Amino acid sequence: MKDLCVPVSGFREEDVAEVQLTLGDRKVKYNFRIESFPWDVEDDLSVFTDDVSRSLARIERLKNAIKNYDKGWELLQIFTPAEDAKHIQVLYRKKGLTES
Amino acid sequence: MIRTKELVKVFRTDEVETTALNKVNLEVNEGEFVAVMGPSGCGKSTLLNIVGLLDNPTDGELWFNSTEVSRFSERQRTNMRKANIGFVFQSFNLIDELNVYENVELPLLYLNMPSSERKKKVEAVMDKMKIGHRAKHFPQQLSGGQQQRVAICRAVVTNPKLILADEPTGNLDSANGEEVMNLLTYLNGEGTTIVMVTHSPSDAEKANRIIQLFDGHIVTENVKKLL
Repeated sequence: MKDLCVPVSGFREEDVAEVQLTLGDRKVKYNFRIESFPWDVEDDLSVFTDDVSRSLARIERLKNAIKNYDKGWELLQIFTPAEDAKHIQVLYRKKGLTES
Repeated sequence: MIRTKELVKVFRTDEVETTALNKVNLEVNEGEFVAVMGPSGCGKSTLLNIVGLLDNPTDGELWFNSTEVSRFSERQRTNMRKANIGFVFQSFNLIDELNVYENVELPLLYLNMPSSERKKKVEAVMDKMKIGHRAKHFPQQLSGGQQQRVAICRAVVTNPKLILADEPTGNLDSANGEEVMNLLTYLNGEGTTIVMVTHSPSDAEKANRIIQLFDGHIVTENVKKLL
């Protein structure tokens, strides 16, 4: 098994979650974080209203959010936002494993 | 080895125009193992198909070593591909009517290699990938993991400089997937450049660079190993 799926009830697109995982004999701890970044929102980048410009603005917004994010965390995965979502969720893992 | 400059791919139908790749700038150096991640429809496979010379970009440049190949004719692309690139697909793409040996031999036939030389190369690669005992079997007599191993043999039998893998573990259980990833890691260790498209963060961790593609844009990349 390579992946663990953790069901969380009532987890909303704008919520941020942190999970700490300890692997048995190896005594390794991972810290994961689901971060929530603005996606389809009105801001300085939303100058134009056509679909292409809105799409470019969303990507630019996401790029900026990732670029400026805490460098102590590394990006693992970007999840597909739901239709009309205002936020996009991104999975991070804390850099530097804790071993004991 | 590979460099794209402002690469654009647009798919057009009568009613819809979809920009699959939007000004993608990518550089892959010889000996690298690069994973391309991103959700379905983000342009990963389109990028791989263009880099693998299976498709032409709509705009932008594609450099393979020091040659600009984006406007190559079909024949030029085929010749470049045969000499330099091996492909591994999610669904293996083996030919059901050919046995293992014949499937692996196929790329060498396209290179017009003499029979005795073909035999040596096919047997050597099948031994290396531990599939020699299945030489006479047909794809449907093999497990998914074995079929993918045959597909990897076929991809590497010509000693390509570059292997392009599109979701190579997508149809495999975790044990077989791990084995395939170990094979790709081994080939990379031997000097083969690998570009792999994947949904799996675990598989991507085998690479030494991870590129995140989203809506046809490269949004970020991690240069070092995650684990």
